[in-house]
Amino acid sequence: MQCGTMVAELLQFIIAGLKSGAVYALVALGFTIVFGATGAINFAQGEFYMLGGMTGVLLTTWGVPLPLAVVGAVMLTAVIGAAFELVAVRPIASGDPLRIIMVTIGGSVVLRQAALHLFGPDERALRPFTAGPSLRLLGAAVERQTLWVWAITAMAVVVLAVVYRQTMFGKAMRATSIRRDAARLVGIDASAMVTASFGLAAALGALGGLVVAPLTQTAFYVGSGMGVKGFAAAILGGLGNPVAAVGGGLILGLLESLTAGYLDPLYKDAVALVVLLGVLFLRPQGLLGGRGTEKV
Amino acid sequence: MRTVRALAPYLVAIVVAAGPFLTDDRFLLKVLTFVGLNALVIVGLALLFGFAGQVSLGHAAFVGLGAYASAVCSVRFGWPWIVGFIAAGSLAALGGLILALPSLRLKGHYLAMATLGFGELASLAFVEAEPVTGGVDGFSGIPFPSIGGFEFREPAALYWLVWAIVGIAVLLATNLTALRPGRAMRALHGSELGALASGVDTTGIKVRVFVLSATLAGLAGALYASVVGFVSPSVFTVGSSVTFLAMAVIGGTGSLAGPLVAATALTLVQYLDALIPGISRDTARIVQSFQEDVYGMSIVLVVLLAPRGVSGLLKRLGSVGRP
Amino acid sequence: MERLSVSLVFVLLVAMLFGCAGGTKDAADEGPKPVKIGAVLSLTGTYAGLGEAEKRALELEVDRINASGGIAGAPIELIIEDDGTDEAKAVAAAAKLIEQDGVVALIGASGTGQTMAMRGDVKRAGVPQISLAGGTVVTGEFDPLVFQTPWSNRIVVPFVLEAINRAGHTKVALLSDSGGYGKDGRAVIMENVASAGIELVADETFNPGDTDLTAQLTRIKASGAQAVLLWTAGKEAAVAVKSARELGLDQPFFGGSGQARVEFIEGAGEAAEGFIFGTGKSLVPANWGEGSVQFETVSDFATRFETAYGEQPDIFAGHAFDALTILADALDRVGPDASPQELRDAIEATNGVVGFGGTFTFSKTDHNGLTTDDLALYTVESGKWVPVK
Repeated sequence: MQCGTMVAELLQFIIAGLKSGAVYALVALGFTIVFGATGAINFAQGEFYMLGGMTGVLLTTWGVPLPLAVVGAVMLTAVIGAAFELVAVRPIASGDPLRIIMVTIGGSVVLRQAALHLFGPDERALRPFTAGPSLRLLGAAVERQTLWVWAITAMAVVVLAVVYRQTMFGKAMRATSIRRDAARLVGIDASAMVTASFGLAAALGALGGLVVAPLTQTAFYVGSGMGVKGFAAAILGGLGNPVAAVGGGLILGLLESLTAGYLDPLYKDAVALVVLLGVLFLRPQGLLGGRGTEKV
Repeated sequence: MRTVRALAPYLVAIVVAAGPFLTDDRFLLKVLTFVGLNALVIVGLALLFGFAGQVSLGHAAFVGLGAYASAVCSVRFGWPWIVGFIAAGSLAALGGLILALPSLRLKGHYLAMATLGFGELASLAFVEAEPVTGGVDGFSGIPFPSIGGFEFREPAALYWLVWAIVGIAVLLATNLTALRPGRAMRALHGSELGALASGVDTTGIKVRVFVLSATLAGLAGALYASVVGFVSPSVFTVGSSVTFLAMAVIGGTGSLAGPLVAATALTLVQYLDALIPGISRDTARIVQSFQEDVYGMSIVLVVLLAPRGVSGLLKRLGSVGRP
Repeated sequence: MERLSVSLVFVLLVAMLFGCAGGTKDAADEGPKPVKIGAVLSLTGTYAGLGEAEKRALELEVDRINASGGIAGAPIELIIEDDGTDEAKAVAAAAKLIEQDGVVALIGASGTGQTMAMRGDVKRAGVPQISLAGGTVVTGEFDPLVFQTPWSNRIVVPFVLEAINRAGHTKVALLSDSGGYGKDGRAVIMENVASAGIELVADETFNPGDTDLTAQLTRIKASGAQAVLLWTAGKEAAVAVKSARELGLDQPFFGGSGQARVEFIEGAGEAAEGFIFGTGKSLVPANWGEGSVQFETVSDFATRFETAYGEQPDIFAGHAFDALTILADALDRVGPDASPQELRDAIEATNGVVGFGGTFTFSKTDHNGLTTDDLALYTVESGKWVPVK
């Protein structure tokens, strides 16, 4: 094969990997934020990804213009996320991570089944944000929607970083995730911060589900698979570190894409699982994270 | 009153053992055999969740491991059933050990994710390892269990075999929880730090309990394969693991009785329309369509409102009549 | 104390069960003894959509047959059990229908796995089974008792391969899923490419649920294929054709029954235009030619179905209709008191029975009974499938 085609092929795989990776990054950020605030894993995180796409489709079928539908779906999912925290997580006064995990496992089943009853069992399509043929880059194709995936992910990360560093709210969130009782002592409403973290995580997940729906379609059952991948990305970077979560997502996407491209596509799904188990067993603090993850 | 209480477990055992004498309904016996299979898995999960405070989202994978192991041993190798049965338990135990050893350093929520990853990986493997598992088409023609020259082909015989093994597992588990390891496990559930401080080898106990529960799941899988005669990957999904977990969680912590009652009830619900003749088909359908909703909702409600689950309920029920 | 209450609950539960089960057996019959037929359908779970359509078709047909005198005066009694798309439940349902209800024949299951799981009980009881599942394994792993009505890959694959060859494409890339339908199809395709005069220049697979097929399509693009054969029933089909167009892979796409789904065309949008797939003629009944027996049969069924339920029957309803049509035809020949064994022999002797799927003729080695004559090619035009002229 010619050198030029080989480069184009590699570039094509990298583009595909960074596209999936950006979505994983959004879901992984959600895991990280909730983990930061509660010390627990939110097993319902993947369902927020699903809810984003499904509510977006629902809104457009009602005739809502696409940009409004996207914003509406993100906000709606954020409200569902925050409400889920208020109803199911806050009553666990002890904050026992085991019980929070159990509640989110149960909650994920409830959310998925609710979506099944509301939206039906079939897959649904969302139209691309901007129509038109794909762009060319050194012989490789870049779909317009892929540019949206990257743009929206980048925007979400920047906004998140600014909010976390510059605003009072962000500082309170960070303080809570570092030491909950100390945060409370300086007058931060720690439980409000936990609610906010669920809302934020849900919004990020929903954004991922929305921006990728025009490429892949969506269905009530897509949440749990994405949950596992998003978690693998989060743990790869090191749970609790937002920057690392984004890095983890992109690395995972690339690994998958290169595996599918140069090994065998059938091993693609196994990549995330092997990464998940490997990192858990060998380096629970993550590849990119330095901070200890064990919260006692 | 006290004597009744002491006699109660024996009473249950007698009723369960007498099942095939009370009915000649072969379908009912089959359903009750399936109840027994789930009960076997739940005994292990109840120990893991209720006593050791660990969550597994991968137990269906161990059931699958056992089912395929016994199917391969009896069909491909032509080995006696009992050898396949033991192989199934051993393989699941080994799988459990491999998963538990590295997980032991991690806290509860990591084990949950690790078992979830393991469960997904196993599902993939069951589909992809086609030469061994038969792939998506499944593995058919698995013979009935047989020991010596006796083949368990009648529903009553299968019922007795399965429930006898459940009985042994329950006895084993009861003794385990009553003895020192049991108290250590309970300490673990209360506070791991506390348990550590009082000299309990927490990681060792966690691993042992996990391996035991994986073994029981593997044995249940071996029995499932030979009771049904057909095995396919769609049975051993993470969804099934969540159902098992729901049974254990709803059953509650700190006792075996609660989880067993929950396993029995939640399995029977699936056969509602066939078991209760008067029930309208639509009612049964609605119940069955919302079955998973009920599982999910029950997990949430039990964790929030009644962390001790059915066990706690039973205890409270019991203490009402206490003099 | 806990033990006592547990025991009480347990004893009550068990007693309730045994009590209930005892009560099921005293239904006194009047008039001629009905012919009992059992159906195991997936009314809940993953295949709920299939099972519901099948149930409607079966109930519609049983009512029609009974209204016109049944089988030599004896009505058909149809007992439907839900398997919840679960194999253990399918086994229990088969056991219940055979042992508790004493049915002479079984229809179902909706899914391939559930159908295979029932086999043990079917064999033991010697009751004939007509499956509604499309997996090649159902009649490929041959059992004298088991029949199936959908167009199996065994006939659709050669039909589509021939069409590809006729279109002048000899170098073909295959893209199939690693789930049930795709894997099944891929195996049959491998057996048949050589005889169809086609060379497979790429053989790519993907997992159900994959959201990105760039790697596979990039390799297909590099393989020099003249056409792409896509074999999947999942939502990834839409992803495949969309990304193919984006990647500049403009070769024609071919597929099988998996593309006869509205969701595929909706999901793929413009990229689906020009897609060619092969499946049963009855997808567009006019294929049969107006006035033909097939056309009348299919449109009559469609009309009655629409009158009863307010919507057009889908192919799954059609496959269920066929199962009952075949069964009723066999029963007509051997009478309502036939034993399961006699009924099985009569089903195997089915010759030229016209149903939704086509004209069924079974033999000692063919329990699917359809041929490529029952299939047609379709292409997607302006968001709808139309027959290829």
